[in-house]
Amino acid sequence: MLNVVLFFLMVSLLLYVILAGADFGAGIVELFSTKKNQQLTKKTIYRVMGPVWEANHIWIIILVVILWVGFPEFYNVLVVYLHIPLTLVLLGITMRGVAFVFRHYDAFKDKSQILYDWMFRFSSLVTPIFLGMTAGSMLSGQLVITDDYANYNFIDLFVQPWFNGFSILVGVFFASLCAFLASILLIGESHANDRKVYVSKSEKATAAVVGIGFIIICYGFYHNITFVTDFIKNPVTVGLVILSFILIFPLIISIKKAKKVTTRMLAGIQVSLILVAAFVTHFPVLIIAYNKNINLLETASPDKVINVLGISLIIGGLVILPGLFHLMKSFKMIKVLDD
Amino acid sequence: MDNLDAARLQMAFTLIFHIVFACVGMVMPFFMIVAHKKWLNTKDVIYLKLTKSWQKGVAIFFVVGAVSGTALSFELGLLWPEFMKYAGPIIGMPFSLEGAAFFVEAIALGFYLYGWDKIPEKFHWFTGVIVGVSGVASGILVVSANGWMNAPSGFDYINGEFVNIDPIKALLNPAWFTQALHMTLAAFTATGFAVAGIHAYQIYKHRHVELHKKAFKIAITFGAVAAILQPISGDLSAKDIAKRQPIKLAAMEAHYETQKGAPLYIGGIVNGETREVTHKIEIPKALSFLAFGDFDAEVKGLNDFPKDVQPNVPIVHYAFQTMVGLGTLLLIFGLVFFVSLVKKSWWTKRKFWLIFALLAPLGFIALEAGWIVTEVGRQPWIIHNIMKTKDAVTPMPGMIYSFYMYMGLYAILTLAVTWLMMRQIKSLNHPNLN
Repeated sequence: MLNVVLFFLMVSLLLYVILAGADFGAGIVELFSTKKNQQLTKKTIYRVMGPVWEANHIWIIILVVILWVGFPEFYNVLVVYLHIPLTLVLLGITMRGVAFVFRHYDAFKDKSQILYDWMFRFSSLVTPIFLGMTAGSMLSGQLVITDDYANYNFIDLFVQPWFNGFSILVGVFFASLCAFLASILLIGESHANDRKVYVSKSEKATAAVVGIGFIIICYGFYHNITFVTDFIKNPVTVGLVILSFILIFPLIISIKKAKKVTTRMLAGIQVSLILVAAFVTHFPVLIIAYNKNINLLETASPDKVINVLGISLIIGGLVILPGLFHLMKSFKMIKVLDD
Repeated sequence: MDNLDAARLQMAFTLIFHIVFACVGMVMPFFMIVAHKKWLNTKDVIYLKLTKSWQKGVAIFFVVGAVSGTALSFELGLLWPEFMKYAGPIIGMPFSLEGAAFFVEAIALGFYLYGWDKIPEKFHWFTGVIVGVSGVASGILVVSANGWMNAPSGFDYINGEFVNIDPIKALLNPAWFTQALHMTLAAFTATGFAVAGIHAYQIYKHRHVELHKKAFKIAITFGAVAAILQPISGDLSAKDIAKRQPIKLAAMEAHYETQKGAPLYIGGIVNGETREVTHKIEIPKALSFLAFGDFDAEVKGLNDFPKDVQPNVPIVHYAFQTMVGLGTLLLIFGLVFFVSLVKKSWWTKRKFWLIFALLAPLGFIALEAGWIVTEVGRQPWIIHNIMKTKDAVTPMPGMIYSFYMYMGLYAILTLAVTWLMMRQIKSLNHPNLN
């Protein structure tokens, strides 16, 4: 049953990164658009994401619940030592959700739209950056895990582990992944004339992902960050990353041929490959701290809890997934299925 | 202010804020589907307009409730890491099921909001029903997790370790039913009276009276029925607490001396230092009867419990008085509404509408007061008789800044949502819109 729980953990993580990532990314694309294209993007986002965006973001709740129920000590380390970046993520999520609703549900469309739009775009950018920083600091080797809080100062324990070069780079990397996903999604949703806007956005986002990814590797190698040195030594992870890179070429072709389904599939696979690569480098050690490593599996709850959690997840999955699939299909978010 | 107090205040503020949105998001879909059904049956355009305007309300409240709920799911761990480390696996079941129910709600809401003229009429209406039902289900599940904190069960606590964990027993803890029933009825009462009150005010101001009267009738019917049923649930809760958490009951009643045939205090000023209650109305033997169904039963007083396991008595007592007082008031006006269905002339009087407009916030004040009773009344425990709140709080210093930040954020959100709602109502009265 532990495997079922791990499967759902991985699935929720992937779906959150891809679906919510595309959703965050849409705001980033809008932020980096010219004024004319901003209004276009806003309309498209509403049409495409409107019915599904709330559901996209619930994956993080599922993720958190699986962690605290199934792997309580692992979760404990996250919430104690990464309190500040997680709080910033929450602020971002709150601002963003509220801004999305306000800008589409306000009974009058007047000047206040400007405020909502900026709130939406700004929080769309910073939230994934903080999320990425949180993930980066889990692997940065800079967390100090201790029971002796009095002996450390606030900065060393609660700030430095996430506010450092490596974590910030991972944050920016994640934001560019989001922008990549969103621009690919938007290509398929726009009319012929607007397509080139998003094609060019997706090119820039791809360049950003590759470029920042490369910088992270160099930075980590130079600063001797365990995660990075192990990442480049591990043949499986290197293979996955190379595969993800090679997929850029079929992606370009399928964009040119306007194959919406294939394009989205490829982009989703690319992002998944990168994520899986990061995941398997040290699995099951998912927190590499300064003074110790934390093995996810060693923090697993007793069997009975894992069994009940697994069964709840299977039942929940059986109810949710068909509904979600039908929702996306009904509103043609993944037109994929009909084409 | 120390770290513990700051964390507690932050939790309290987030919950007070979230509860309003969660309740409206869970109850308003029912008003919406009733209006929708009436539109389908009568094809009266007013009902369509009403449905669409309520659905906007549902959407706004749902999202704000969802994001503040997401924040809360993190805050449980961020503020109380030691609590979550041990309690997380035990109460994981209600939370994972709640996650599923919430997901279903979000999917159904996606269908409902965007499904007009796109999906079959009956299926579209039915997705609205699913929104309501799954909303209530999530509410009940979350309250069950809270019930576990009051009535911890489904594990053995041996030498400071939680062993033999049984998540299903924890889900069905002794407090879940009474708490869930009380909260569900409270949510319907509060939302019913609040929505009805807003429409009553519009009628009082002579704006689009025909529409607002229809809206008022739907909302108040839910609110009035729930308010009238609530005392039964309250009685169940009181008897349950008398058995399980006698200290909480004593604090609610500001009952210091153990006594047979204990009187019930109405009102009164509690002096926490001298442990006396002045300026109260006493009903002889009533507390013994309400708590144990026997006029001569012994009710243990606070003085017979160790001081370090007692909550802040004045807060719990005043909150309890507020809840019961306002609940009773709403019950009376629930009955007034049903009488007004016979005495139709009342609906033509402006005073009638003014009264219901003034009642609008009272249900929510009662509901928040009730949560203060149950949460403050459980202190100093976070898990009753097992773990103290001070042992669960985050080791990270400086929580006061986090508290200020959240308070600022939620204050802005409250103002923004209120402003947005006012604009919604304004647009409803605007003949050229919609």
